[in-house]
Amino acid sequence: MTITADNPPAELLAVTTVTIGAESDLLRVRSTMRAYARQAGLGLTATTKVVTAGSELARNILRYATGGQGVATVQEAASGQKTGVQAVFADRGPGIADLEQAMRSGFSTAGGLGLGLPGSRRLVDEFAIDSAPGLGTRVTICQWNR
Amino acid sequence: MADESVVVRADESAAVLEDINFYYTQMIDNIADYAVMRLDNDGVIRNWHAGAQQLTQYAAQEIIGRPVAVFYTAEDVASGLVETDLHAAAKGGRHAAAGWRLRKDGTRFWASAVFTALHDLAGDAWGYGMVVRDLTHAREQELTLHGLEQLVDSIADYQVIRLDRDGRVCSWNPGAQKLTGYAAEEVLGHHVSMFYTDDDARAGVLQQELADAVRDGSTETEGWRIRKDGRRFWANVILSPIRDEQGELTGFVKVARDLTERREQERLVKQQGDEILELSTPVIQVWDKVLILPLIGTLDSGRAARLTESLLARIAADQAEVVILDISGVPQIDSGVAQHLLETVEAARLMGTDSILSGVRPDTAQSIVHLGIELGGLRSRTSLKDALQLALRLIEARAGSGNGAGDGADVRA
Amino acid sequence: MRMGQDLLVTLHGDLDDRTVESIEQNVTSEVARTRARGTLIDVSGLDVVDSFVAQVLARLVRMIRLLGAEAAIVGIRPAVAITLVELGISMPDVTTALNAEQGMARLRRMRADGMRIDHDNHC
Repeated sequence: MTITADNPPAELLAVTTVTIGAESDLLRVRSTMRAYARQAGLGLTATTKVVTAGSELARNILRYATGGQGVATVQEAASGQKTGVQAVFADRGPGIADLEQAMRSGFSTAGGLGLGLPGSRRLVDEFAIDSAPGLGTRVTICQWNR
Repeated sequence: MADESVVVRADESAAVLEDINFYYTQMIDNIADYAVMRLDNDGVIRNWHAGAQQLTQYAAQEIIGRPVAVFYTAEDVASGLVETDLHAAAKGGRHAAAGWRLRKDGTRFWASAVFTALHDLAGDAWGYGMVVRDLTHAREQELTLHGLEQLVDSIADYQVIRLDRDGRVCSWNPGAQKLTGYAAEEVLGHHVSMFYTDDDARAGVLQQELADAVRDGSTETEGWRIRKDGRRFWANVILSPIRDEQGELTGFVKVARDLTERREQERLVKQQGDEILELSTPVIQVWDKVLILPLIGTLDSGRAARLTESLLARIAADQAEVVILDISGVPQIDSGVAQHLLETVEAARLMGTDSILSGVRPDTAQSIVHLGIELGGLRSRTSLKDALQLALRLIEARAGSGNGAGDGADVRA
Repeated sequence: MRMGQDLLVTLHGDLDDRTVESIEQNVTSEVARTRARGTLIDVSGLDVVDSFVAQVLARLVRMIRLLGAEAAIVGIRPAVAITLVELGISMPDVTTALNAEQGMARLRRMRADGMRIDHDNHC
């Protein structure tokens, strides 16, 4: 099942792939995203937001994916006059059974933080999620330079 | 306390002294607003009266025989202030001091104390007389007034001036000069109608505004005003009456700002039929710790996000502690605007800043409640002036606690 | 690091589970050992605070309070503040201040208020 917020960017340019398997990989995900965001000319707030969203999604992979394994693919994006950064977080984990529910529920206050998907979605310009039980999860986010 | 020499015959002296004692005691017992006490040479309290109990909460039996140090704060005792005060009185005969003192329950009051060195008939030191007044209220008022004056002086983008009862200008501020082009000496003592257009002056618009302000407690109007160079500007003016403690009208406070640009923009917007105003709304610093963000026009997500960013950046740069979000320029408050406001307030809180909403009109208040918008702990005020006063109190509260000893040191020159 | 009666804890760069555990141990034992009355947690060096870090902060504050001290988070950057609010984690029960100076003043105020309450209880 797919929930898509907006259309994908028209052109895809330089790409960096980060394998996610350990805590230290989160650092690489963040610094990679930061570098692309800077290159795309994103302001400080937009950068902080997209890097934070990326950190959340990468951490979800560590926590919930099978063997804590997954991949983050970060790329430059361009659409007409806009430039931006796009990141795809993919894993072959158990998948999300009730995607609607996951996209509605915020951070629970009782200690466990869940997936924090609605929060991450609010941080970025574009958000698309593909997930089904047994098929893993794939989240695509995009942040533009206005 | 001046000692009057009393010359008596030896055999009458005892009786006379008894009379004098009786009259003095009665006199002191009847003093209710001051604490008058006698200390011995070591600063131990030797007599008491109702006024002293009223001020400090101690009853006679629990205070007589205790050292005067019980009224001093721990820091003052540790720094030897008690000895300093007594010594100064002994040396100079009279010593005045001001500072924080403690009541029995530990609460503080701002005291004005006068020590007098006493001598017996033989001229030997006979302890000290001490008269103490509670000036907490007066001090607060003085500080507030001083603070407000400083505040007004530093406002460069708003005109904040005082008028007397008849509408003559009796104070000026940098914002007023910037707005109208006049320097203080050119306007003080003149009638405020000098800024009005001839048409308005003739129509008695000003008299009507002053009368309305007196009747309604405050008025907000908009209209054309004239600068020194003859150019017109569209002013948004808030006029509030000032009253003394008896409720008598003593004058007015006038806060005005230039909305020429906004008015022009609104005209263009109406022409274009486009709702979104792309103004770069400046964050105004009115004091070194208070920022005002005037929100003007409609707020879409993009603009709201930019405003929040600039506000937070200014908070960091100016180390602001209070932010006033002025919504008097927002025509319609809806859930979207409220949401942006609340998010901005929350983000500012994460940076340690308190927020105040100002410019809340009656229809705004109604909309907010009808829409079910929860402002939580966000304080709101109708006028910018009230918001500024609250901001000042918040700043003082932040600075004041735990600084009692420090304040005392400043006053005791 | 001690500042008067307050402790200053500065968080750097990237926190993972292991560093968090050692930070928690260090902070709690320092608070107990020095009997610090207040602790400032300085996050001005963090340009990203995600939900994990926010949780770490909230937990640190709780631990410090359980030890009888007060805690304040200082130095949240503007971009981080905006992000936290949009993420939906604004930690309403956590005391915050712009920098260490304002943080210490805040802790002093909280102690003064706390003392007044204690005093009232005794009188």
